[in-house]
Parts: sequence; C-alpha cells; structure tokens
Amino acid sequence: MNLCCIFYKFVYLGLLVRPMFLIKIKRSGLMVWIIFVSVFTLSGTITAFAQTCRLTLSGSVSDADTKSPLADAYVELIELKKTTVTDEEGHYHFYNLCPGNYTLKITHVDCEPVEIKVRLVNDAVRNVVLPHRYYEMEKVIISGKKDEFRNLLKEQLENKSVEQTRGLSLGEVLKKINGVTVLQTGSTIFKPVIHGLHGQRLILLNNGVRVEGQQWGQEHAPEIDPYLAEKFTVIKGAGALKYGSDAIGGAIFVDSRTLSPAPGWKHEVNIGYLHNNRQYILSALTEHRSAHVPALGFRLQGTLKYGGNTRTPDYWLYNTGLRELNYSATLEYRKPRFRSEFFLSAFNTQLGLFTGAHIGNLTDLENAIRSPKPIQNIDRFDYSIGRPKQKVNHYLFKSYSEILFSTRKKMSLLLSHQENFRKEFDRALITDRPELDLNIGTSQLHISYEYNRPNLQWMTGLNISHQQNVWDGSRFFIPNFITWNLGAYGILKKQLKNLTLESGIRYDFRDLKTFRNQNNVITETYRKFHNLSTSAVAALRISQCWKSVFNFSLAWRPPHVNELYVNGLHHGTASFEIGDPGLRSERAYKTGLQLKYETDSNWNVDVTLYHDYIVNFINLVPSTPPTLTLRGAYPTFRYIQTRAGLSGADLRFSYWLHQQITVAAKGAFLFARDLNAKDWLMQMPPHRVEGEISYLFKEKKLKNTTISLLTQYVFRQRYIPRRYDDYLPPPADYILLSLEFATELQIFKKNFNFGLSMYNLLNRRYRDYMNRFRYFHDETGRNAVLRLKIPL
Amino acid sequence: MRGVTLYFLLFLFFAVSCKKTSRPNNENEHEAINKVEFVFYQNGNLYRKFILEDPDGDGGAPPTRIDSIILQRASNYTAELFIKNISGGVEKDITALIRQQGTSHEFFYIPSGVNVTITKNDKDANNFPLGLNTTWTTGPAGQGSLLLKLMHKTGIKGPNDSPDKGHADIQINIPLKIL
Repeated sequence: MNLCCIFYKFVYLGLLVRPMFLIKIKRSGLMVWIIFVSVFTLSGTITAFAQTCRLTLSGSVSDADTKSPLADAYVELIELKKTTVTDEEGHYHFYNLCPGNYTLKITHVDCEPVEIKVRLVNDAVRNVVLPHRYYEMEKVIISGKKDEFRNLLKEQLENKSVEQTRGLSLGEVLKKINGVTVLQTGSTIFKPVIHGLHGQRLILLNNGVRVEGQQWGQEHAPEIDPYLAEKFTVIKGAGALKYGSDAIGGAIFVDSRTLSPAPGWKHEVNIGYLHNNRQYILSALTEHRSAHVPALGFRLQGTLKYGGNTRTPDYWLYNTGLRELNYSATLEYRKPRFRSEFFLSAFNTQLGLFTGAHIGNLTDLENAIRSPKPIQNIDRFDYSIGRPKQKVNHYLFKSYSEILFSTRKKMSLLLSHQENFRKEFDRALITDRPELDLNIGTSQLHISYEYNRPNLQWMTGLNISHQQNVWDGSRFFIPNFITWNLGAYGILKKQLKNLTLESGIRYDFRDLKTFRNQNNVITETYRKFHNLSTSAVAALRISQCWKSVFNFSLAWRPPHVNELYVNGLHHGTASFEIGDPGLRSERAYKTGLQLKYETDSNWNVDVTLYHDYIVNFINLVPSTPPTLTLRGAYPTFRYIQTRAGLSGADLRFSYWLHQQITVAAKGAFLFARDLNAKDWLMQMPPHRVEGEISYLFKEKKLKNTTISLLTQYVFRQRYIPRRYDDYLPPPADYILLSLEFATELQIFKKNFNFGLSMYNLLNRRYRDYMNRFRYFHDETGRNAVLRLKIPL
Repeated sequence: MRGVTLYFLLFLFFAVSCKKTSRPNNENEHEAINKVEFVFYQNGNLYRKFILEDPDGDGGAPPTRIDSIILQRASNYTAELFIKNISGGVEKDITALIRQQGTSHEFFYIPSGVNVTITKNDKDANNFPLGLNTTWTTGPAGQGSLLLKLMHKTGIKGPNDSPDKGHADIQINIPLKIL
C-alpha cells in the first residue's frame, strides 16, 4: 500500500513541477494515465487474496574452494519457474511462496549446477556451496563474465525478454529497455536513442569491442546482428569510463553467451517469419568443445534475413525491402589462469529506402507533405530493392586475452580491427555509382590491469585507437581523415558495509587530421583535443528491499568530422548540412539516481532520475536562406553550439499479482532544453507510458507458456522549438496494443521454443515524431512475428 | 610482457594500412546537372542560345548564370534542350543519357505572366511525353517567367502526369521576355 502512495507522490510531484503537463494531455492521454494509476490501485486491493502464500526462501551461494560469495549465480525455483540472480554478496530471495516441496537449481558459469530439495513450511534459509567444474586442482579460477556495471545506472535485457525480441533489428530490441527510444528512418532503419541522445554520443560494444562505423549519420543503423547476443545492457549516462569518455549519452553492451565449458557439440536453429513484410529469418549456431582438449572451444554462427515491402494499414511502401547476411566465429582457449578468445564477425546488409521519401527539393517536400497518401508510391508488394538504398558491410576482428598472475592480479589485452564499408545510393540520377561511398577502418588496443582485494579493487588501463576514413562516390559529404586517440584511466572501488564507492578518472588525447581536395589543391587540417573525464558512483543498500545508486560524472566528446567539415546534400533528407570547423568539445555534467525496491509483497520498482547539463552541445539547426541550385531550393542546416539541459525520469513497476499473473508498468519522461535560446531542443523523444499484463499457464502440458498483453501510449511531442518552423507539426499521440505468446513444445524429446508476437494488434494508423519519414508515410501496420527455436 | 609487445606490434600492423587517405578525391568533380542550354530555332535556322550555369554544383555559390529567354511576339520556335555537367572544368553532355532513361524522366515548362504555348514533340520508349524537344508559340509582348522542371519518376511515369509527380532533378525559374 505504501508503494501506491509513493507512486501517487510521483504523479503529484509531476503535477507540481509541470502544471501544464497534465492539463494539456488530451482525453486519450488522460485515459492512459487512469489505466496506469488504476493498475496500481487494483493491485493493492488484490494483495489480500495472496495472504496464505507469504513464505520467503532465501540464502547465499558461495564458492566451494575459495569460500567467497558467488555473485551472478542463477537460482531457479523449478516448480514455479521463478528465477533470480545472486547479488554481490551472493544472496538470493524468493518471496510469496506457498507451503510445499520445491527444487532449487543453482547454476554459475564456472561451477557445476546444484539441485537441492526444499520442504517449505515456514520461512527458510538455504545456503548453497557450489563445487568447481574443471578446476578442482586449482585454487584460483578465471572468473566468468561478471557484472562490471553493477554500480551503474543500467538496465538489462536477458533470457526470456531477449527471446521475445528475436527477429527484430538491434534498435527495435533496445526499445524494450525503458528510457531507450529509436530514431527511425522509414521502416527499415532504427538507431537507438538513450535519454534523447544518439549517434556519436553513444558507444556500442559488440563483445567488448567499440563498434566503429559511420555512426554520425541519423540514418545509419548500428552494424550488429542481435542474434549474436544473449544479453543487452544499457548504461544510462556516462560511467563506462573504461571504454571511452565520449559516450556522454550512454553505452550499449551487446554480449554473446560464454562458450559452454562442457565437452561436446551443441547446435541451435532459430527460424522467424515477419508477416507484415513477408520476411524470412534463419539463424543457426554450432558450438563445440573437445573432450580431449577441454581448454579449446569454438562457435560458428550465422543469420540470414530476406524481407520485402512494408505495409502500413492502408498501403504498401515501395522499395522498403531488406537483405541481411551475418556470420561470426569464436575460438576460445581457456585454462585456469589464462583465457584467450578470437572473434571474427561480419555484418552485411542491403536496405531499401522508401522511394516516395526521396525528394528532390523543397517544393517536392511540400507536395509530399500536402498529400494524405504518398504520391510517389507504387502500392504493391515486392521483394526487389532498387534505388534509393544503402549497402553496408562491417567486418570485425578481435583478440582478447586475460591472464591471472595471482588471486588478486589480472591483466587483460584486447586488440581489434574493424572495416566498415557504407554505400548510399540516391534515386538514380546519372550513373549507377553510389552517391556516398565511405570506408572507415579502426584499430584499437586496450591493456588493463586489475587488482582485487575483498573490499577494495582498482583497475588501470590504456587505450590506443587509430581510425582512417576515405570517401569515394559521386558526391562529397565528409572529408578523408585520420584520428589517433590515446586514453589512460584509473578506477578505484571500495566496499564498505552497505555502501560501495567507485571513482574513476580518465585522460584522452585526440589528434585529428583531415585531407581535402578542392579542384586538385590538397589541404590538410589538424585539430588536437585534450580532455579529462571523471566519474563518481555511490551504491547504497538502504535496507533489505531498498537499493540506490547515485552517479555523477563529467564526460566530454570532441566534435566529429561531420560536425566540423560536412558540406553537402544529405541523402534522402533534401537538406543541406554545413559544418563549423571551429567547434569545440562537448562537455557533459551528468547526475543520475536510481532507486530499486523489492519487497516481500513481490513488488519490483525501479526509478531512475537524471539530469544532464551539456556545455557546447552541438546542435544541427535550420538556417536561412535556403541553398539555391539548378535542382531547386533546399533547406539549409548548420551545426551550432549551445548549452543543453536534459532532465527526465524512467519508471518501472511490476507486481506479482498472483502465482500466474504479473502486471507491469513503465514510463519514460524527458524534458530537453536549449538553455542559451531558452527554448526546447529539436527531435527529442516524447514521453511514453506502457502497461503489461502477463499470464503464466499452470497446466502441465503447457510448459513455460505465457501470454502477455502490452499497451503503449506515446504522447504528442509538445516540447518543440518555437524558433524554427517544422515542415509538419509533431504527429498526434497514439496508443498501440501488442500481444506476446511463448510456449515450449516437446518434439522428439527436444524442447522447441515457439513464440508469436503481434505488434500493432489493432492495425492502427499513426505516425511517430522520431521517424524522419513521418512527413511521407504512416508507420508499419499490424505485424505478426513467428519464431521457433530448435535445439539440436 | 612478450604478449603486450606482440599485441602492440599487431596493432601497428592493423593501423598502418594502404588506404589512400592522404590523396582524397576532388570534391568539385561530382556527377550533377549544373548546366542547362536552350537552343532555339526559327524556321529551321538557329535563333539564339540561352544558358543556365551553376559550376560548383549544389550548394556553395548560387547559380552564376541565368540567361533571360528572349523571344519575338507571335512567332513559332522549336527548342532543343541540352543538359550538361561542367564540374571540375570539364563539360560532359548527359542529354543522351536522359533520353535513354526517358521512361523515368519528363520535362515540364510552366510559363507565368506571359502568353506562350509550349508543346512537347518527343516521346519516351513507352510513348509518353519527354520534353527535350519542344515547340513554342508566343502571343503578345510581355514579361514573366518560365519554371523549368525535370521530374524523375522511375516506375510511376504516366501519359498525363502533373508537374509535381516524382522528384525534381532540375527546378529553376527563368526570366522570360516576349518582345
């Protein structure tokens, strides 16, 4: 009941802080608030029914050899299909259990799984000791993937939630995480946005390697195959100092599963079908560890996607097909004191862009906007991809080694090289050549050294990276450049009783050299950037139920080449972009507070509040007069610097209503100000709330079967700059319904996982403010996604 | 330590590549339409040429030359249009290419403020109007302008399209005088 009060307080706080905010909500918006609030009122009243089943099972998990607590061990209550993960002190808890007999299964990446029977009459404590799998002879082990972000403001997507997103692109997957939205270009390109920031302000790590492509472009999606991943972690705000300081908006970690330590083969096939664009997906992986040389293991993985035109509720979108072929190979050598991993991955995609959105000039844009249905469309289904389109190939190689000198000292080395090829084809004009043809190569070396004592850890490291970009194609957009980046950092972590303190400092030096050729006169420009970043984190366990993390950081980002030197017509946007060679580094002061609450009434609450103050915020703004050409007039945009203030909240509540029913609600709110102009910032995600109700089937035949109904309400973006006229005002608010169904089928004694998701269940016609093609067409209509996972 | 040295050497190996970063392409040499030439004939004889030019292409400086089209009143002309790329100081005629891709293109001539009738004489492979060759019939003297548009419409071109269908490869207002 108290929690309802807390929730209402938040609502009232919102009312006080921004009185206009609620009053302005349209009727439909108010409805959602009513639903949102009533779910909690309702859940409070239903608590009374669950009174008989209020037993708690808890305990700790520790290592048999070292006797130290094991964090991140999976604890499963088999009968109830409930799982939890042990915390830093190795503790686990299950609440609201009925009296009865249960089986606890505990698994940890480095240990043999253990199952114990528990007869529950009263609240019980069961402490479990896990023996080591292969390293019995050794006193020390290389730890598995431990959660190094434990003390950061973060949110993760793993296990079942990941399975439910199979078939979607990376951007769409990450959208499931509260506070993450996407910047869309039509129906095929999704770029993740964390708390309103995207592109160069985020870093994306594919298995520990910073993905380096042409991420500055608004229509450049990240080059990662989501099928590769088992877990997605989003660090909201800076703090991942180890990986670079320029991630002022946050960091996204995409991690694949660690190779199984058990000898033998393992195969898995994933099949998917998206009904809206008739897309087929096939993804397969095979894994092997030799029985003779158990130190050696490998994995091969590949994904194929083939899709055609997307359909909105009323019409097809011509030329919106896609092709994707991704593959990766992992080779691991694992000894108790040494581990080495080689990883090779390729991401190849070809994406069609809606023909009707590829306009010539301002007049074409105005004509397109005036028409309720796209005028330049061929309203039929087709798999073919013509111009305009994008072709992207991304290759990544990584070699990672870690060596344990003693129980306390560890060194790791990471070397990687990436080549990214991006070709953008505008609508056919004169020749078949791509208009934009960029190749960027990035080499990175990261050396780190860790020292661990039970209550004190420190880590220091060195990053060196080298990047080279070459342009070709029939149109100039960004110049050739070479950058060298040198970074050194130190992080200190101290554990007190209930408090963990972490602080870090990092120094970066960047040398940027650009090469331009204007009528065969070659000019070279040099820019140097020195910067210091710091971060401080305090994580406090207030009580058994309350946990809080406070984070303050100072981060910087040097301007990217496109912001400095861009000069040209932007692909598909019918706009001219002009850079400013005088831009300085962005400097962000970020504060964040995350509160987590888990109570014995099975409440689960996660509240993140944040405020970012960014000095020299680089912003692309319209400028007059429009650029005149023989092709007509084009709107012109320039990069300017301002002070920005971004504040917001991500709220998440879930409640175990009944053994079989869970209700959950989420909300993400953002207010983004241009402090110099005393105005709002452009293209920021509007507020959104979501509700979910899930039902877990108890029937024996329906193993692991759940059905969930989700509703999402996206507000109309009201906080738009007054100074600039948009071609079209932000689209209206909208509500979407979706349905998720998942079950496990036993065929040939194998567990087949079957899933069905229905997005935009009611086939609603809507447009989204964050889609750059909102001027031209509606969003995707109803989309049923079928997925089947077959273990072989 | 040996490991660190090895990694460092490998890093240098990767970093030193054979990319031609320091020898960039000429930014001014791009494929574009930046010259349009009208050649007017009267009774089979050359009347006059009118030229529109934007040598640095899209962006940068605005078009440097926009000739006014000057015609005699109550006269008949045939006009031939030439489309060129003069980027990097070399003149390339791309009219033939546009004619070849005729099923994706159509020219539009929209006069305003003056009395002139313009009819398209040529057709594409589907027998739909193209507009590289036109007949002009002028009325009384006057002064106005002509909006010249080359619309690009792969797959959607029809026989009687509005000048707004497709996207513009050329769109320019030219002063038009009838003496």
